[in-house]
Amino acid sequence: MAVTVREINGEELERLIAGNKVLVDFYSKTCGPCKMLSYVLKDVAKDVDGVEIVAVDFDKNKEAVDKYGVDSYPTLIVFNKGKEVIRVKGLQQRPKIMQLINI
Amino acid sequence: MSNHDVAIIGAGPAGMTAAIYAARANLNVVLIEKLAPGGQIVNTYEIQNYTGMGTINGAELAIKMFEHTQELGVQFEYATVIGISTTGPVKKLICEEGLFYEAKAVIIATGTEPGMLNVPGESSFAGTSISWCAICDGPRYRNKKIIVIGGGNSAVEEGIYLASMAEEVVIVTLFNLTADPIACRKLRALSNVKIYEYYEILEFLGEGKFIGLKAKSTQTSEEMIIKADGVFEYIGIKPISKAFIDLDIVDDHGYIEADTTMSTKIPGIFAAGDVVARKFLRQVITACSDGAIAARSAAKYMEKLNEI
Repeated sequence: MAVTVREINGEELERLIAGNKVLVDFYSKTCGPCKMLSYVLKDVAKDVDGVEIVAVDFDKNKEAVDKYGVDSYPTLIVFNKGKEVIRVKGLQQRPKIMQLINI
Repeated sequence: MSNHDVAIIGAGPAGMTAAIYAARANLNVVLIEKLAPGGQIVNTYEIQNYTGMGTINGAELAIKMFEHTQELGVQFEYATVIGISTTGPVKKLICEEGLFYEAKAVIIATGTEPGMLNVPGESSFAGTSISWCAICDGPRYRNKKIIVIGGGNSAVEEGIYLASMAEEVVIVTLFNLTADPIACRKLRALSNVKIYEYYEILEFLGEGKFIGLKAKSTQTSEEMIIKADGVFEYIGIKPISKAFIDLDIVDDHGYIEADTTMSTKIPGIFAAGDVVARKFLRQVITACSDGAIAARSAAKYMEKLNEI
């Protein structure tokens, strides 16, 4: 159960996405839409079962950012068993995030 | 179908303040938002003129306002309102998602969005090579060349920010720089910034991949091509009011006409915030003021309905 959004680094991201479905939020502390999306994701996490929601700081994890071609923030990527399922850029509404998780 | 005393469309500062005042007036309120609480302030890094807050990040202020609405039990719904039917005894809000909301009174607080130039090529690159959020999309242009369109406060401030990471920033503006003089001086002093004043944008260039802009001097009619990797547009705002055009409450520029009580000419429909016409000042604090007045007017309207 997600329950909350966990902050992780690039190394942990590699281990995590090899497993079950994960929603990754690439964010920056300086970005307003990122702050609002983090707030919405915390709310989403309370209602999500079986999908982990994690946050990766864009500015502190350059290797992961380059590896996954993240060029703006916020960017949400859903991974399942190591493969990218879908990605969206920018602030998203709660129902859209629920849809992404359920793809 | 949900039935409420007041339906508020838009959860920016105006809508959220209206929700707070309406809830405190003991009205059954639904606050409907298409994206997330906050509206335009979410994109504002620092707000320095909202009384009592000193300097506060726009998104953080939006979260505080939203939590205030939730403490008062305001029902919050995600939906995009595409029309209002006023034919029955209550107003019916029609939403893109196939949802409907019914309410005795409606407060429209949909705000504004960034304007576009509507020139050839623009729609092909909107959201990819053309951006309206420097802080979100600036990082992709590290050590690259960027064009900033506009000469007002947003263009100049974001131009300064983008110049801190880009190899070169080219400002193209239809007039001269009209931003705050201190910010203009700061921008002009930057070694990696070029400024073209009195230039009109004719076309966004590139097939599949953006390569630059064609612009024309309004003084000499000389045309030029400016090559770049991306564009940031700051050419002003436009009201979000398409859903209300059929109600005949929208002026020629798309703003909603409302009197000093924030009442439109349709009984029971009110407007607040940046979407309202003829506003002398569009700020967070004036949007909140509008929201408070609109909610009070809606409450008075409800009192009259209950007397009938």
